Amino acid sequence: MSTDGLPPDAEPMRDRQLRTVAGRSIYFDWEGFFWDPQDWNEAIALALARESGMEGLDDNQWRVIRFMREFYFYHGRAPKNKDLRKGTGMPLMALESLFPQGIRKGARRLAGLPNPKACL
Amino acid sequence: MKKVILTINGRARQVVADQDLVLLDLLREHLHLTGTKQSCDRKGQCGACTVIVNGKAVLSCLTRVAKLDGAEVISVEGLGTPDNPHLIQEAFVLAGAIQCGFCTPGMIMAAKALLDANPDPTDDEIRHALRRNLCRCTGYAKIIDAVRLAGRFLRKEITPDEIRPKATDAKMGVSHPRPSALAKACGTAQFAADIQMPDAAEIAVVRSPHFHAAIQSIDCTAAEAMPGVIGTLTAKDIQGTNRLKYIVEDRPILCEDRVRTLGDAVAVVVAETRVQAEAAAAAVKVDYDPLPEVRTPARGMAPDTPQIHPDRPNLCFQQPVIKGDADAAFASAAAVVDHRFATQINHQAPMEPENSVAFMEGEGEDAELVVMGRSINIHLHMATLQAALGFENIRYEEAFSGGQFGIKLEIFTEGIAAAAALKFRRPVRYVPSLAESMLITSKRHPFEMQIKLGADANGKITAMAMDMTVDNGAYHSIGNVIINRALHMLSSSYYIPNIQVASRLVYTNNPWGSAARGAGPPQAHYALECAIDMLAEKLDMDPLAFRKHNALQPGQTKATGHVIDEWAFEGLCAAIKPEYERAVTDAAGVADGPVKRGIGLGAAAFGIAFPGDKSISAVELGADDCVTVYAAAADPGEGNDSMLTQLAAKVLDLPLDRVRADTRSTDRTAAAGPASGSRVTFMIGGATVDALKQLRQAMDEVGAKSHAAFVAAGRPTRYVGHKSVLNTAPLDPETGQGPSTDSDVHAIQLAEVEVDTGTGEVRVLRVTAAVDAGPVINPNNLEGQMEGGMDMGVGYALRERFEAGKTTDWRTFAFPTMKTAFDMTVITRETPRKRGTLGATGVGEMAMVCTAPAVINAIHNACGVWIDELPATPDKVKAALEAAGKA
Repeated sequence: MSTDGLPPDAEPMRDRQLRTVAGRSIYFDWEGFFWDPQDWNEAIALALARESGMEGLDDNQWRVIRFMREFYFYHGRAPKNKDLRKGTGMPLMALESLFPQGIRKGARRLAGLPNPKACL
Repeated sequence: MKKVILTINGRARQVVADQDLVLLDLLREHLHLTGTKQSCDRKGQCGACTVIVNGKAVLSCLTRVAKLDGAEVISVEGLGTPDNPHLIQEAFVLAGAIQCGFCTPGMIMAAKALLDANPDPTDDEIRHALRRNLCRCTGYAKIIDAVRLAGRFLRKEITPDEIRPKATDAKMGVSHPRPSALAKACGTAQFAADIQMPDAAEIAVVRSPHFHAAIQSIDCTAAEAMPGVIGTLTAKDIQGTNRLKYIVEDRPILCEDRVRTLGDAVAVVVAETRVQAEAAAAAVKVDYDPLPEVRTPARGMAPDTPQIHPDRPNLCFQQPVIKGDADAAFASAAAVVDHRFATQINHQAPMEPENSVAFMEGEGEDAELVVMGRSINIHLHMATLQAALGFENIRYEEAFSGGQFGIKLEIFTEGIAAAAALKFRRPVRYVPSLAESMLITSKRHPFEMQIKLGADANGKITAMAMDMTVDNGAYHSIGNVIINRALHMLSSSYYIPNIQVASRLVYTNNPWGSAARGAGPPQAHYALECAIDMLAEKLDMDPLAFRKHNALQPGQTKATGHVIDEWAFEGLCAAIKPEYERAVTDAAGVADGPVKRGIGLGAAAFGIAFPGDKSISAVELGADDCVTVYAAAADPGEGNDSMLTQLAAKVLDLPLDRVRADTRSTDRTAAAGPASGSRVTFMIGGATVDALKQLRQAMDEVGAKSHAAFVAAGRPTRYVGHKSVLNTAPLDPETGQGPSTDSDVHAIQLAEVEVDTGTGEVRVLRVTAAVDAGPVINPNNLEGQMEGGMDMGVGYALRERFEAGKTTDWRTFAFPTMKTAFDMTVITRETPRKRGTLGATGVGEMAMVCTAPAVINAIHNACGVWIDELPATPDKVKAALEAAGKA
């Protein structure tokens, strides 16, 4: 697996990849983001974290993930860095270092948020 | 220099003007009267800059200020304001003549000059008075209606109050004025080039003069030493990926070691003024090593052709469709037709040239890069810029948008403006010329298609084969999506049990394709619908009866094998039949001569909401007891503000003055997805209705619709809604079989033309469309989409094309005018869709999908020749007539 969870030969023009994670079949986009954020659950987040080399998720990581999901389902968009800092009370550098792939490719994917795009 | 004293909008002004200063620039740049627009590079081609001088409509871009001593000038700002509009402005709003609104101020000024002199003009007099004013959105029909209505207002035959729908009137099926219309009519709607930034720096870009070349070196030393220059940028200054990625990461903001098509951006100069920036850009030295140009897909696929992109082959995508057994069906067919068709590279041609502004807002860790342009997918483009620039704190705000027709699915100037603002920490404006704008933006893909259709002795279509090659141009954008869309809609309105298709997408050094109204299906429908007429002729069947006879039925399958459960096509065949029979009779009654009359049909079933699509929207009851829809539903002219507010008023049973839509900022809106694929009403409207129904349920439970009551009851005031399509699986890569769209909009169009067999000139007399997009939310908006789409379709059929390096303005593009406009009729049926938004689906693209084949079929009907390469210019028609011995 590549770092974004897709097979290394995944063809980006086939716009969705069906994968089985934590016993569930889920569509991911070509950058490893959930196609549908409502497919997410905590077991899947843990499985994805392990795929990306993390041993598990600690309280601070869960706090960030839960904040991201609450924010998304209230505002209809992913939180920006300023929203995350305000919402979690954590400095940006601390937030970035919590996830090996940072906020954008790490926390956001683990939280099950989609890329901000839909197909044509 | 010359001192002149003139009156502008009733106020005396002294101006010391350079001999070259034109009135347009005095108004816009110096007096900040930005209601007067610039589109055509000050060539007097578009009329967007029309103002009144001494009682006459003039093109302010050609009017020198030095010659205006003593003149009385009226610009659109001198007529009225949104709170106190002029009757002509009201007429344009109420007639539905305003879509994007970019041409509107110029149209209104031309109309005022006419009506001041002639209060009761004929339609021909209106056309003559507005002959210099271009519009891309409306097809001119409702503009003529508006001038006629304005005349009635001014003659006091009727008042606006008598015809303006009330906020409490029915919410669906009523042409309530668009919320944005008055601002557009009064010139207060701010397009990106209108935004005032007093200390903004200006940008000029060094662009490739080659279609394909290696960059050996870039030397900005001389440019940086020139007056007013703040600095320069090259690719090495971009901190992120330097790629504006939609699907494939192949398009740089600034080229690194190679240019791949004419006009690729190589270096940027930022200076205090635009003149200084352009002078310095000319001093940037770029050493190119020209490479072989790949200008056709065939050359791109040749085994000895080097790859245009080092990490991917030129033949970059293929998707077959295999349904049933086409070979066997052809072998037993009673009639078979087989023909090659090709389409041109075309420009989407929004009136507003490309432009954007960028600036830093705030300080320190909170400093935010704000980018303003006319993206139709602001959340995606914010993310695109974040990755490309390596900077997270970005906000995208959609300015008012002078049309787009797919072009703004991609961003062009935003990356450069944002990179410059980020590097120099200065507000910047990047307002390229029309010529540069046309060169750098995406285009409609050209298709080469060999199509074969077979039918049995009963007139049922039994088989279809197509070989489709698509020229991707230099960058991918959504090339694979274009092909997939064409394949999903390949069998269109009909049931075709056996299909075999090969399709391929090929990189070349040509202008790159992307979204363009319809995006794939218009090209494929041209081939299909002409082949349908060929097959009907071979079977000796009436073309309308043949289409109806082959209509897809619930329970049958589309080209992808998707079983449909509703299909509103047959009713349209019945609806258009009286007009068709009238047109047949009219054509038969025309005396034979060198000018031949012909009629032609084109049909389309246009799929909306592809597998995997989803949307999200938020609604909130505010402290002022108004409900706001927060969804990034861009509105480049279609009327999405009408759609969202009328849906909200309907679901909540509120008057329209208690609902509004907030759609423009990434900070305030739900990431609802692109305003493309005709998906806004179905997907974003659908998600909005989901949220509204939650709010409505809460209102019912609280027993009140006020914010105070909600707070007292402890109920949330904000609700988020979702819409997801039924299916998620993509097409099978080997067979092209799989689920298709959730919804379809249907149309059939009838074109009536005259062909001058001596000159090859084709004149469209009338196009009649029968359309079924479900229950109509706003009739003016639906008709406006149809009329503008038909006008665009006729341009695509007869005149328009983009040739890199040659198509540089509206004249060389052959932009539609009042002179090329034709009569239009729209017949509407309203079959509710099971999964529709209050039963409705979209309409914007389908409006032009079947126009071109209807026109080409009419040309054949008139004079017996097939035009199989678009556009059907007089030279092509004449050559075809000569080849057939019919000239």
